[in-house]
Amino acid sequence: MIGLADARLGVDAILAAKRNRDGPLAISVVDSSGTVLYQLRQDGASPVDVRNAERKAVTAAYIGRDTSMWRMQIRHDGRTVADWANPELTTLHGGWTLRRESQVVGGLGVSGSGDEDRDEQLALRGAEALAQLAVDAWRARRQR
Amino acid sequence: MFQQTRLGLEDAERARDAILAALTPNDNPAALAIADEHGVPILLLRQDDAPARMLSRARAKAYTAANLGLDTVAFRDAHVKARQRTLDDWGDPMLTTLQGGLTIRHNGNVIGGIAMSGNTTTRDEALARIGLEALGLDT
Repeated sequence: MIGLADARLGVDAILAAKRNRDGPLAISVVDSSGTVLYQLRQDGASPVDVRNAERKAVTAAYIGRDTSMWRMQIRHDGRTVADWANPELTTLHGGWTLRRESQVVGGLGVSGSGDEDRDEQLALRGAEALAQLAVDAWRARRQR
Repeated sequence: MFQQTRLGLEDAERARDAILAALTPNDNPAALAIADEHGVPILLLRQDDAPARMLSRARAKAYTAANLGLDTVAFRDAHVKARQRTLDDWGDPMLTTLQGGLTIRHNGNVIGGIAMSGNTTTRDEALARIGLEALGLDT
């Protein structure tokens, strides 16, 4: 399971990666059940960004696919998001699945940069920071 | 056109830090919600082992305090209980009468709501008040 400390670390990594030309962000981190651990809205980010950051994170955790990958998959299968009958799901890019040892441990969503693909890039930076944390912990265990 | 003072992320983070510092080992794992004047979250936080329902409650309390401009306990006592109404009269599924949501005011205007959930509702409110005071606003 990831906890609040992990979630805040992921959010901080995203804020550090944000550039001036990116719009104000909403960032959400959920656990494997899709429940928010930590979520914030920078000044000026819209209510739509808040809602979609959370929906992206929830989708990534619940479906177990990054939202852009899931979009490709359901388009390939000739389906739409409506087939899942769950208003919390979205295929907007910018939701990353968080995994540890192949298990889904959560999801991370970003909205507000002004470009879906940039949202995704920023979300990836958060996911990378958490992955690095897991690798460091694994190395520390192995050295003991 | 008009200008409006709004609650910012830095304010919310100040309240967050004050509340986290005030929690004791006797407190249960808790959830915090800080919302803008429309009830839209600025900051949500759920401590490890705090059940999901604590976050939804905190969110609903902050939404209620911001939207109605009433602390949730005042909403419960003066508007719901005293007039023998139920929440259905308001027709808004996000409203709650659970104590622990406080209205954030600045110069007389409602600029948001702050709420805690996880402990007894009176403790929830006391913790939310610590966050509210850390904002240091002229109410």
